[in-house]
Amino acid sequence: MNHNDTLNHSPGQPLTAVVERIEIKKLHQGDNLIMGFSIGGGIDQDPAQNPFSQDKCDKGIYVTRITAKGPAELAGLMMGDKILQVNGWDMTMVTHDRARKRLTKKKEDVVRLLVTRKSLEDAVKKSMGPYQK
Amino acid sequence: MEDYDVRSAASILASVKEQEARFEQLTRALEEERRNVTLQLERANLPPNNPPTSQPLAWQQVVMQEQSPSNVTSLGMMQEPQEVVEETVTIEEDPGTPTSHVSVVTSDDGTTRRTETKDAAATLKVTKVVKTITRRTFHQPAAPSSASVSPRSRPASRSATPTATSLDGEPVTKMVKTVTTRTVRQVPLGPDGLPLPEGSSPLGSYTDSIDRRYVKNGGCGGGGGGFITPQATSTLTRSYNNSYGDSYGDATPDAPPYGRHYGLHDGYPELADGYGSLSRGLTYRPPRYPYMANSYRPENSYTLPIRKDDYGHVAQPQVPMGSSVLELNRSQPERFQPEPYGLEDDRRSLGPEEEEPYELEPDYSTANRRTLQGPSRGRTHREPLRDGPRVRGYPDEQVEAELIDERHPYIHGMYSAPLAQPERGSMASLDRMGGRRSPSIDSIRKDPRWRDPDLPEVIAMLGHPIDPVKSNAAAYLQHLCYENDKIKKDVRQLKGIPVLVGLLDHPKAEVHRKACGALRNISYGKDNDNKVAIKNCDGIPALVRLLRKTNDMEVRELITGTLWNLSSYEPLKMVIINHGLQTMTNEVIIPHSGWEHEPNEDSKPRDAEWTTVFKNTSGCLRNVSSDGAEARRRLRECEGLVDALLHALQSAVGKKDMDNKSVENCVCIMRNLSYHVHKEVPGAEKFQDPSGLQAPGSAGPQRKKKDDAGCFGGKKAKGRKNGENDKNYDTLDLPKRTEPTKGFELLYQPEVVRLYLSLLTESQNYNTLEAAAGALQNLSAGQWTWSNYIRATVRKEKGLPILVELLRSDSDKVVRAVAIALRNLSIDRRNKDLIGSYAMRDLVTNLPSGQQRPAKNLEEDTVVAILNTIHEIVTDSSENARSLIQAQAIEKLVAINRTSQSSRETKAASHVLQTVWSYKELRNALTKDGWNKSHFQPAVTVTPKITKNGKPGYDDTTLPLMEKNQDGYSTIDQRDKECKYKTSDGSADLTEREPLKNDTNRKHFIRSNRPAVSLVDACDVKPQPVDSWV
Repeated sequence: MNHNDTLNHSPGQPLTAVVERIEIKKLHQGDNLIMGFSIGGGIDQDPAQNPFSQDKCDKGIYVTRITAKGPAELAGLMMGDKILQVNGWDMTMVTHDRARKRLTKKKEDVVRLLVTRKSLEDAVKKSMGPYQK
Repeated sequence: MEDYDVRSAASILASVKEQEARFEQLTRALEEERRNVTLQLERANLPPNNPPTSQPLAWQQVVMQEQSPSNVTSLGMMQEPQEVVEETVTIEEDPGTPTSHVSVVTSDDGTTRRTETKDAAATLKVTKVVKTITRRTFHQPAAPSSASVSPRSRPASRSATPTATSLDGEPVTKMVKTVTTRTVRQVPLGPDGLPLPEGSSPLGSYTDSIDRRYVKNGGCGGGGGGFITPQATSTLTRSYNNSYGDSYGDATPDAPPYGRHYGLHDGYPELADGYGSLSRGLTYRPPRYPYMANSYRPENSYTLPIRKDDYGHVAQPQVPMGSSVLELNRSQPERFQPEPYGLEDDRRSLGPEEEEPYELEPDYSTANRRTLQGPSRGRTHREPLRDGPRVRGYPDEQVEAELIDERHPYIHGMYSAPLAQPERGSMASLDRMGGRRSPSIDSIRKDPRWRDPDLPEVIAMLGHPIDPVKSNAAAYLQHLCYENDKIKKDVRQLKGIPVLVGLLDHPKAEVHRKACGALRNISYGKDNDNKVAIKNCDGIPALVRLLRKTNDMEVRELITGTLWNLSSYEPLKMVIINHGLQTMTNEVIIPHSGWEHEPNEDSKPRDAEWTTVFKNTSGCLRNVSSDGAEARRRLRECEGLVDALLHALQSAVGKKDMDNKSVENCVCIMRNLSYHVHKEVPGAEKFQDPSGLQAPGSAGPQRKKKDDAGCFGGKKAKGRKNGENDKNYDTLDLPKRTEPTKGFELLYQPEVVRLYLSLLTESQNYNTLEAAAGALQNLSAGQWTWSNYIRATVRKEKGLPILVELLRSDSDKVVRAVAIALRNLSIDRRNKDLIGSYAMRDLVTNLPSGQQRPAKNLEEDTVVAILNTIHEIVTDSSENARSLIQAQAIEKLVAINRTSQSSRETKAASHVLQTVWSYKELRNALTKDGWNKSHFQPAVTVTPKITKNGKPGYDDTTLPLMEKNQDGYSTIDQRDKECKYKTSDGSADLTEREPLKNDTNRKHFIRSNRPAVSLVDACDVKPQPVDSWV
């Protein structure tokens, strides 16, 4: 099996991904800026415990929870999405905390994510018929 | 009613007098009317040979279709019939409804059999309900009537005994089965299977008079005069199962072969009787019931189960319902029947639903009940009393609960309507009236001559010379007060409470029961003035007196429920202790706990019974146990109390029945009584641990060399640990006991540790978990010999992993109690090492990460507790500080220190950081991670006082909690749990992992320790998944 699937992707390998761009406007909540979702994963985390990844070796950053009606949900982010980039920064090979920091920069009001999710990939595969990478 | 307050006493008095006069008049008039009606009925009964003949046919027809093998069964449990009431009900409904035939035989012993037949061709139209009731005992002409109505049932009622006996052998299960299939709708069949024309009932003409004056009064029992229902299509035959067995004779097995009967569960006659005539009058009495008057007897009047009435409502919803009790009383005071309230199946059916929501308030709550009642809460449910204790589904009611479940598979959906359709209908109509609270609205719909009494009148009636008037007035008050704070207040202001309290000493059971019921409702709720009013007229001693005097379970439930309500108000707690503590202990706690003062060697130890009375009483004691040192002292020294509670809990653990409210109450009492036990217990000073005071929690590395598993026995207790020495104080023995431990000493014996740990392992009830952890926390606080033992025992009993596991609980308060318990436990050096190694990660996980939303939204108190625990663990242990760093806590701590809104959190985090920084050997590693000294400085100007030493007794123990059901866990936490990475194997690791591989520093300790307690080794276990909100 070809492991170049986005969701099975091993860091460092070339990658073909079906991605979606999502732009989230942060919400001011008190002093904090929030987006209303939580992430899990990272190279310092145990990938086996990630319920969303396709294979349990993926150390990518995944969206684990979404606040209803929060900015992230409104922007179309979904639980289980794998975050590939944040404002252009790679997220497939970062520590959990690095990812968090990238997402929570105080000066940034808007975060642009590049995400992929299984349903996207499936949809593309379906529309393209037999599809080999 | 608003103007009550301004009404003068004189006018009240005047109106009372007037009422009384009218009452007498009425009584006379009613009697007369009754006689008339009886005659009429009798006359009517004789000729109607038509109905008898035609009816059977129709009935038979239908019945056959639904024959169920099991209808025989229900009688199995019944006793010998002595008196049989047969009731035949024909129900007519609007066209189009499915039909069913129901026959119910009621026998007074409390068995009910109902045969119900569904008619597939349900489109017939029926408009009437007719009930016939026959009491065999009374030997009245009634018998023929029953015969006429349904030949099948007649033999049964006549020869009830034999039939019953024959049925005895039948398994109950069968009956249950039939139940499930039962139809809800009543049958609209004409006598001959044809649709009935509306109003065809011959009764029509006189129904009005009957129901108003006579039938309502509970004339239901009325003897047999069968009145004729030409259209007795559906026949309800019920035997009522009186679970109390009090007044009733037996089962009436009749019509066994056909239809299904709902045997035991259906009609609990007691319902009918106990429930104040009030409710009957108000709620259930279908105004037009043609009950036979001729055999009318007082006893009879109360035998009709509610359900019957419900049919009535269905059939004739248009008839104004509800006569008030008072009216009833006026007319038929002598009919009053002093039977205990009975169980009511539809109420009980609420049980399962109710189990879950524990009381939401400290009070014995009537409120939660209400939430469950849904459609059915009309008047019927106003009287929390009745449904209250019963509904809960505690074990004592298990049997009934089961039956109900089986019988009414749909019951969960619609709370109280075992006979779904008809009842729903009736309930609905009740609902319409449900909004009424004012006693006088009823009357508007009725004959204007009969208005309901207003509140001052009702209160005045409490002093009426005739007892039934008193009791009915009290019952009516109870009813009015149900969940109506305004009326409670009015009753108080009208000085009704002292009168009710006065009635508690009334010799007649019915009177004091109803008075108590009213008081229970009045005492419930946030309005503490009502509670104070009860206390001010010496209501508490009166209740306690009655508790001593009565053996009636129901009354005891009411008393203890009232006391529970009262106990939620601080200023009354001591009063309750002063008057009722020993009585409650002797009368309720000890007997129901199964504990025996002088156990008989031969007999097996008894298990606790989780009765409502026990639950109420333990709830009351739980509340009063939080009233400070004096209250604790009184409870501890109350003879037999601690022993009994402990026995009850042990029995709960033994039976694995640990989630119920009674257990929760018991554990909470134990927790509260354990608070400050090291300071407050007589003779505590003898056990103070002087060395401990010098350096609690920071006493050097006292690693134990001896096998942990060694028991406590053997050596002389020195109760001393030597600060920095490697002295092994784990093996210190308990002081020699010259006699068996008893009373409050049991609170802190190391034996209790296992009990609490079992609860922590097994219970699903957050309150129980919190209380058990809190008890350990209390016991492990302080510096005295016993807390040393407790701390060591927790370790030996492998309690540390159990506690650490609970750090992951969704419940905030559980996490908090556990965290503080761990902190107190880590006063023990070896515990500290173990906790530092194995609990650190779970502790850190519970911390919020700075500005981000924490994984769990823990309250400030909890966060502070965790920080304090971490501080305790890293104090004097650079190893633990290293674990803390490895758990990636520094970032969180720094974030809290800098950004937390809470000064307490900031301060606590700052203490930890300073302590960490104080370990020079760690600074290197810290700098490598990018930290510098500034991160470890207090962000705010905090006095960098690390109160390391000389905190005599880490008394950061939980204050005894009131039973406040803040549930602590928010839904988001629950969701979190599901969405979060599954730590599928994480928890399993807890006990199996061999700790540690590479940390050489820790090796010796591990080795010496031999995983007696192998907590999770942080290095070895997969990292706890991190989940950050952004």
